Amino acid sequence: MALYPTYPLGTDRLSLRPFTRGDVDAVYGYRRLEAVARYLFDVPLSREECAVAVQQRISQTGLTEVNDKIILAVELNQTGTLIGEVSLIWRSIEARQGEVGWIFDPLYQGHGYATEAANIMLDLAFGPGDMHRVSARCAVRNEPSWRLMERLGMRREAHFREHAIFKGAWDEEFIYAILWQEWHKSRQPGQTTSK
Amino acid sequence: MSSLSLPMETDRLVLRTFERSDIDDLCAYHMLPAMQRYVFSRTRDASEVAGALGIMRNHVSLQRPGDTLTLAMVRKGDKKLIGHISLQWSDATAGQGEVRFCINPGYSGQGFAKEAISAVFNLAFDHFRIHRIFARCDGRNHHSIKLMQNLGMRLEAHYREHALFQGEWDEELHFAILDREWQRSSKVKDLPPRHRVA
Repeated sequence: MALYPTYPLGTDRLSLRPFTRGDVDAVYGYRRLEAVARYLFDVPLSREECAVAVQQRISQTGLTEVNDKIILAVELNQTGTLIGEVSLIWRSIEARQGEVGWIFDPLYQGHGYATEAANIMLDLAFGPGDMHRVSARCAVRNEPSWRLMERLGMRREAHFREHAIFKGAWDEEFIYAILWQEWHKSRQPGQTTSK
Repeated sequence: MSSLSLPMETDRLVLRTFERSDIDDLCAYHMLPAMQRYVFSRTRDASEVAGALGIMRNHVSLQRPGDTLTLAMVRKGDKKLIGHISLQWSDATAGQGEVRFCINPGYSGQGFAKEAISAVFNLAFDHFRIHRIFARCDGRNHHSIKLMQNLGMRLEAHYREHALFQGEWDEELHFAILDREWQRSSKVKDLPPRHRVA
């Protein structure tokens, strides 16, 4: 079953919408930073590379085949500022598996925006996306990222040590996951979902 | 790296590559439902086992990443094939290897698998200079889980319902051990034969 959501998705504070060509400067604003690139597969990006990245993202708005991605710009409703992106990848059609990810501008950390945006992606995956399990991965040293996974109600499923080389050094990685039934329970009335 | 010398010996086992004549002993355990429950490739009858044997007979060394070495566990004395163990060189840059093993349930619980796996760990770390060995098993496979903990492997992953396996939600565990974590010193190593002849 393909997934083509109607955009924007959002909350009172945030809008999640497809990227547009006008987003290059905002993306460059945080993707050029070493602090942002450290745990990504990329190095800090030039403006030209950001233009390419944005160009790719413009069409990444639906899921039809395995490994397709939805990547959405996260915007503050009040100011219209682009503060980062969230993504959902279709990892297995038969076993209904998805993976979420995010990149945020450090300038806007500490307001719960990333949690709010990632929760919208979980709702998309488990709701209209009909997925059974959604995972996320990050470097063990990237504590803000795995703290966020824990706030989303995800469980730590894997802690790999020195299983690969990442940017010239031994990699240490966490994988977190949440099952449909766990997500469903967390969305029941009376359940406190952490922000 | 010294050249690989096979067969290898442990206290009670000879570990050697597979031979065409292993088919009967292999059928004796490979077709069992208890075995089929956890293996990736189906070997439900003698012809499917013969197919598997053909593949395993080609697993004779690790020359390049992706290669697998599969060794038959043969009991000294009666020369009975009681199981097998394989080491796959899964990644060269990061020095990764994966171990898989099967043992005839009629011979389990006597430490044969542990003996064979220990020998393969020595081979992997000392001879092939592998940095990390991992092994996967089904969440219900308690014998394997115990064995891997017993070998000093750490539980690195516990996936729940992350895939379908034989028509059901899969539960999969990953165990791993690093080169420096493998306690060779605690193993009694045989002296080379010439030192024994005094």
